[in-house]
Amino acid sequence: MPKVEFKLPETFESFGEARKSGFLKMKALKEKGAGVVGVFCVYTPLEVFLAAGLVPVSLCSTSDETIPEAEKTLPRNLCPLIKASYGFAVADKCPYMYFSDLVVGETTCDGKKKMYELLGQIKDVHVLNLPQTQSGQRSLPFLISELKALKDKVETAFGVTIAEADLTRAIKEKNAEKRLIKEFYELSQMDPPPMTGLQQLQVLFGSQFKFDLPEKLADLRQTIDDLKEARAKGERPVAKGAKRLVMTGCPTGGATEKVIKAIEESGAVIVAYENCTGARQYDREVREDGDPWEALAEYYLGVGCSVMTPNPNRLELLGRLCREFKADGVVEMVLQACHTYAIETQTIRSFLSDKGLPFLTLETDYSAGDVGQLKTRAAAFIETLG
Amino acid sequence: MGHQNTLCIGLDCGSSFCKGALGLNGEIVGLASRPTGWDVAGSAALVKAELLKGYDPKESLVRVVATGYGRELIKADKIVTEITCHAKGAELLAPQTRLVLDIGGQDYKAIATLNGQVISFQMNDKCAAGSGRFLEVILKRLEVDLSQLDEFLAAGQAITLNSACVVFAETEIIGLLASGVSRADILGGVVASLAQKIASQAARLDPTGPAALTGGLAQNLGVAKALGQALGLTVRPLLKGPYAGALGAALIALDID
Repeated sequence: MPKVEFKLPETFESFGEARKSGFLKMKALKEKGAGVVGVFCVYTPLEVFLAAGLVPVSLCSTSDETIPEAEKTLPRNLCPLIKASYGFAVADKCPYMYFSDLVVGETTCDGKKKMYELLGQIKDVHVLNLPQTQSGQRSLPFLISELKALKDKVETAFGVTIAEADLTRAIKEKNAEKRLIKEFYELSQMDPPPMTGLQQLQVLFGSQFKFDLPEKLADLRQTIDDLKEARAKGERPVAKGAKRLVMTGCPTGGATEKVIKAIEESGAVIVAYENCTGARQYDREVREDGDPWEALAEYYLGVGCSVMTPNPNRLELLGRLCREFKADGVVEMVLQACHTYAIETQTIRSFLSDKGLPFLTLETDYSAGDVGQLKTRAAAFIETLG
Repeated sequence: MGHQNTLCIGLDCGSSFCKGALGLNGEIVGLASRPTGWDVAGSAALVKAELLKGYDPKESLVRVVATGYGRELIKADKIVTEITCHAKGAELLAPQTRLVLDIGGQDYKAIATLNGQVISFQMNDKCAAGSGRFLEVILKRLEVDLSQLDEFLAAGQAITLNSACVVFAETEIIGLLASGVSRADILGGVVASLAQKIASQAARLDPTGPAALTGGLAQNLGVAKALGQALGLTVRPLLKGPYAGALGAALIALDID
């Protein structure tokens, strides 16, 4: 374990309470000797860090707070998620970034790839190379070799050894979490759903910031039980007849909650998220038998992200969610300057049109400047659903 | 129209103007409008009062539907987006319309419709290019009144304007004026650029005609012609097109129990 001085950032006193508590929580973890790995993306194999006894944590990337800081260096016309990720790092405002011993990025999009080069000047950054396609014979062996390169990096950086048995244990733990989260969001298959889409998202999003696994599982179980109990008592937070929509597209949460609010304030309800924060991450499990490295690579190669070409798994999952959650329509959120999702919109549009499912795509960034327009678009779309 | 003696009012408060339509016993009996200004609710109330002049609201049922960007600030029985209202209003003004092009003060919308129902729509992003504001700024710079626009368009050739951004376009126009280009030619270019911007948005809807023009520029033959050329469709200018949203809202007010 490298020697780290557990100091808080110089600007700590100027932070709000929630931010302060995030910093203090991470500081306490570090003082207990935890090694922390900051991650950005669903493609990052958290199992590798858990196998090494490390704490993986999602880095701040969903607020416009540090975008001005980022725009001193990065171009303005860049995806807000990339700008925010970098901005939080340079501004020392993200407790998770601040206390990360290692940051792991992956070559999803061009913007992130090049941003990591700059981030590498201020943090220890390891880049996991992804294949660009799920088809053909070459991608799987390539990803396995990349996962093993990540293992080597982690072992060197933290002075640990990752045995296969540790990895298998971590896979099983993570699978248990995936199962429980899936059980949670599948509650919204009920009609009407027992929670709003915003409530669902907040649980999905928040679960990324609970670091004690047994505690996290217990909390999720409690949430599921509470929702079922409230339902049994006749509580109906969503009106019967509210149009049921599935969200798809770029990662949701934080600033982009404005999109979910625009939809739900117009009388519809989000029943499922195909996005990274939702089913894209929790729908499938990692195979628990055979070589764990191969099993991990198979799982991560299967993520239905628009950076893959072609990307059939997104269509499969989206189609299935629409069926299982009895969707009346689909809303896609695309972050400004996200080329892969913006172009894939056309594929999604024709896929859904063939199924007779109404589709709305909304492009946005992290600012509040388009809230009125989002509301008009969302409300008009919902009006067309009858 | 609706119940006997029900006064059906549609109020459409956009970024520039607050428009109102009054329906009674199956007929549209009144239209009114005034600048929205800073006080949306106040302007809406004044438009409503003007519509109701000569009627006794105490003797009738009054139903109000509000639309437009200021819709949530207006006291109404129901709030509906301007997209749905323009589709209904355009169908009333020009039956069998399949594409509604609504050019508003701060945005523009292309709406594919069938029998007055929205099939799908496209709307501009935060940029003002292609909106009424774009034309307004340029007209002001050229000291041309909107009522004279058709005259200028008929007289000029459309030059190519390179900037779609209203700020840069203004700069470009200052340069064109300095090099002696006529106002008619400049306006031809401005309207062609506006039409191109709207047409590229509408093209995403795979539109079929006939198309109808609504919003503040709906009466403008030159704008309709430029849009028609850009889209390869017939675009009908509508005399009452500025009231399409208010008319649609009044029609929706009919269906309130």
